[in-house]
Amino acid sequence: MRSRGAAVALTAAVTAFVWGLLRAESQSAIAALLALAVAAGFVLLKTRWLDPLAGAALANERFAQGLAVASVAALALVLRDDDFALLLVTRVLIVIVACLGLNVQFGYAGVVNFAGASFFGVGGYTAAVLARATGLPHVLILLAGGVTAALTGTVLLLPILRTRGHYAALITIAFALLFRTFLEVNDALGGPQGLKLGEMRIGPIRFNDPVGIGPFEGSFYLKYVAVALILLALAFALVLRLERSWIGLALDAVRIDEIAAASFGLDVARWKIAAFTIGNFVIGVAGALSAFMIGFIAPNNYTFAESLIFVSVLLLGGIGNPWGLSLAAAIVILVPEKLQVIQEYRFLMFATLVVLVLLFRPVGLLPRPLRRLVERSP
Amino acid sequence: MRLAAAASIALLSFSAAAKDTVRIAFVGPLTGGNSAIGLGGRNSADLAVRLRNGDAKAKYQYDLVVLDDECKPDAGVQVATKAGSDRGVVGGVTHYCSVVAMATVDTYHRFGLPVIVWGAVLPDITYANDFKEIHRVNGTMINQNQTNAKFMAEHGFKKVAVIHDTTDYGKGHNKYFTQFFQKEGGQILSTFGVTADQQDFTAELTQIKAQNPEALYFGGLTPIGVRIRAQMDKLGLKTQFDGTSGIVNDDFIKALGPLAEGALAFREGAPAEKLPGGKQFLADYQKQGYSNPPEAYGPFAYAAAVLLMDAIEKTGPDRKKIIAELKNVKDRDSIVGKITFDDHGQNTVPAITRYVVQDGKWVTWEDSEYAAGKRKLPTGK
Amino acid sequence: MSVDVVAQYVMNGAMLGMMYALVAVGFTLFFGVLDIIQFSHGDVVTVGAFAGLAAWTLLTASGVTSAGVLLLAVTGAAAAVTALLGVGVARFIVLPVKSAPQLNVLLVTLMGGTVLRECLRLFYPGGSQPKLFPALLPTSGWTFGRFFLRFDNVILLVSGALLIAGTHLLITRTRLGLAIRAVAQDEETARTMGIDFRRVVLVTFALGSALAAFAGVMDGLYYNEVFFGMGLLLGVIGFAAAILGGLGNMYGAIVGGFLFAALQTVGAVALPFASAYKDVFAFAVVIVLMAIRPTGLIGERASERV
Repeated sequence: MRSRGAAVALTAAVTAFVWGLLRAESQSAIAALLALAVAAGFVLLKTRWLDPLAGAALANERFAQGLAVASVAALALVLRDDDFALLLVTRVLIVIVACLGLNVQFGYAGVVNFAGASFFGVGGYTAAVLARATGLPHVLILLAGGVTAALTGTVLLLPILRTRGHYAALITIAFALLFRTFLEVNDALGGPQGLKLGEMRIGPIRFNDPVGIGPFEGSFYLKYVAVALILLALAFALVLRLERSWIGLALDAVRIDEIAAASFGLDVARWKIAAFTIGNFVIGVAGALSAFMIGFIAPNNYTFAESLIFVSVLLLGGIGNPWGLSLAAAIVILVPEKLQVIQEYRFLMFATLVVLVLLFRPVGLLPRPLRRLVERSP
Repeated sequence: MRLAAAASIALLSFSAAAKDTVRIAFVGPLTGGNSAIGLGGRNSADLAVRLRNGDAKAKYQYDLVVLDDECKPDAGVQVATKAGSDRGVVGGVTHYCSVVAMATVDTYHRFGLPVIVWGAVLPDITYANDFKEIHRVNGTMINQNQTNAKFMAEHGFKKVAVIHDTTDYGKGHNKYFTQFFQKEGGQILSTFGVTADQQDFTAELTQIKAQNPEALYFGGLTPIGVRIRAQMDKLGLKTQFDGTSGIVNDDFIKALGPLAEGALAFREGAPAEKLPGGKQFLADYQKQGYSNPPEAYGPFAYAAAVLLMDAIEKTGPDRKKIIAELKNVKDRDSIVGKITFDDHGQNTVPAITRYVVQDGKWVTWEDSEYAAGKRKLPTGK
Repeated sequence: MSVDVVAQYVMNGAMLGMMYALVAVGFTLFFGVLDIIQFSHGDVVTVGAFAGLAAWTLLTASGVTSAGVLLLAVTGAAAAVTALLGVGVARFIVLPVKSAPQLNVLLVTLMGGTVLRECLRLFYPGGSQPKLFPALLPTSGWTFGRFFLRFDNVILLVSGALLIAGTHLLITRTRLGLAIRAVAQDEETARTMGIDFRRVVLVTFALGSALAAFAGVMDGLYYNEVFFGMGLLLGVIGFAAAILGGLGNMYGAIVGGFLFAALQTVGAVALPFASAYKDVFAFAVVIVLMAIRPTGLIGERASERV
């Protein structure tokens, strides 16, 4: 009970910090807050408090997850008038979902995917085309975005299965470049001008209207936060279930040593296909939601550089660790938006950060914990 | 005693800061191939804000929030969302790149942010929608292409090949030029669409060379305009280069050097010195010491900012009231002439200027030695 | 299509092929020596081009006008800077992670390339815009019907070929080349035979990067323009070309480079209405080829440890 109380207090402190960061306007205040966060992180790393904390979170997983969802919901409610802050929160949530998909491919199965943004784009373009041309309910369109992304992935399956390591990398890199060029020259999909999406509607709820329930008023972004949060919870649950099951075990075996796994009777191809397809589905759904939220998509949203950002999130946070990548996503999205002075330098900064991480702490911020094969009593 | 002194100081500073600060946004391409024009526009808007802040009679203190749309629609929508969702921003002076302006109209409408376009020329920006938020002080590309087509026909260019970029901007130029040129009896030999960031035009130019055109019409912006002209030379394609407002800036000439000589272009609006308020504008601009010149659309950005601030002075920092006020703009004096917004928020700019590159500068056709017959265009006309 | 138009296309393709080949040879050298993919190679090309541009700007500002001197200075500066950069990348980024999983090296060099690219964009004056690269070679040429054969293209092609031939001689006829080939074949044995492993690696990186410098200067001279993103596509294409030809095989790399250029040219001819599709076409073919022959057309010279 005592540890639970401490956990609640800690979460409240972190949520308050994020709220402060989102609301702060002056650059010096933001810089001060960020310096504080870096110092705190450093202290945590050096005093080795991070691992017991992570361990405690794992031991009380349901509680930790519920706490996380509650804190995001609370944050959104407190920020209900601030359009831009809510937009940022939703973007972070969507990126986390997309990176969770990437994590299944990369972190669990070891299938390298440098075209994450392209599958994100497939979801977005599917949503745009279906929303404009048909009257399908938008919830179905979100799912359709995922399905189309998964189907697109099958095109690359044969080359990916037959190659290893850097050869496989080349395939997804080539696809990432090809995809963007294809979108740009293709007028049927809007060309460089992109496509606009109308308002998103789920049942009677219209997503471009502000929220008004009795005396409670809020920005229309609240609705997107809600949907993104639901999506995140589902994706998170899916990914964790996957990891904990024998599917996850098989994926790990395939990632660590393909030949050993094959000699143990695992069908390597089948597991790689499964991971790649599931991952792309999740990425596609996230892409569809993102398209609805911004209301506009263009080929430039889905470049190779964007794919590299997704991969950076994974590397910074710790490959294979969903919590780590959530933290990294928040950092990657929020910091450049608030700290205006580094807006221009953000690609440089993240690339340098990733290089340093790969050189000095390749496991990332929150490394993936060892697989627990025996239940530990609380 | 000390308390009184402190109180009086506080009172004094309070009264000095009695004016509320109002924020308006400026959006343009500040980085990338069109940055010269974007920076010129930004400086001009900044000039307008500074002059207004120095005016004691102004009711508000203005703060210019500068945003970079990178001439890319996705970045444009992002910064438009930023400006729109920021309740402190009450209006915007927006966009030079038509691609971006087209993409962002829905965003501004969604947030109800009144904006005045200062440099994008695609007609659809104001005419393809019924959004009350969107206005424009500069002209559209229809008139400039009409004048362009007429000029080419009159000067004996009957067979023209067309290269245009595949954005709505380039496609719009292609559509209007082709329409008017064919009406004048001209013949379009071939039309090629290229991407706005294409590197290599040897495929297109090789095919064009095989057709022996008298001129090459280019509907697009400076970055690829420079590449096309340079690669024309590499392939030995000696034909007249005819462009649009997209290449009327110093970067085009700087990048090409002597190759730029003799290139033609057309733009709506008179050059800055010939505008009604132009001389004063240029003098003020010089005094501020900006490191970039205002370029072709600076005066329009200035006029747009002034118009926006005038509306704010009248109605206060309220987006809805500003939109209502901007509807009533009729025959308003400005440095670019009289501004009237029609029912789609579009101003009409009657004058079309014809330009030719002479000795490393964009010179109006009438003032050039080509018109006087002292020099001949590359194809001898 | 008439002969002269075909000739023009062939010329265009040959120029592109030469550039890709130069970059691909670099990739293949690095792989041969360290079994790694140095993904920042494309951006090293860009740095080379910019270094050359900087040298030209400095020299013309101090009044030097002779085209020959400028050309030498540009190429020399580019080669020197990239060689140093290559050595730096090898020593500080690649060698430390050599024993890590192969993917880590790919990632770290990919990000390293991004760092180089962004540094150029942000810190070189006017870096975010395309910059004019001077035309230092004679621009006249011969005209055969509608085919315009320019002197500078011929010079570039010939010097590129000479450079590749020179590299081939270096690898096959000198002691250094012998050391490189030994290390490529078996690192441990080479070390036990007394070859200074680190030195060989650093020299190989310097060599490959200097070749890249030439590709960069060639690109700048051909298009009269350089911009910070030019290396990204060149790098990916060079990598694809190296793989097509079989990693570790220098001739394969050259063949791969020209093959890719041929694919692009065929694509441009077959789809005249949108030459941008040529990239889509070329990359799609690469993906298909990888599916059919995963280790390249000529095959990789390596074995896998189980």
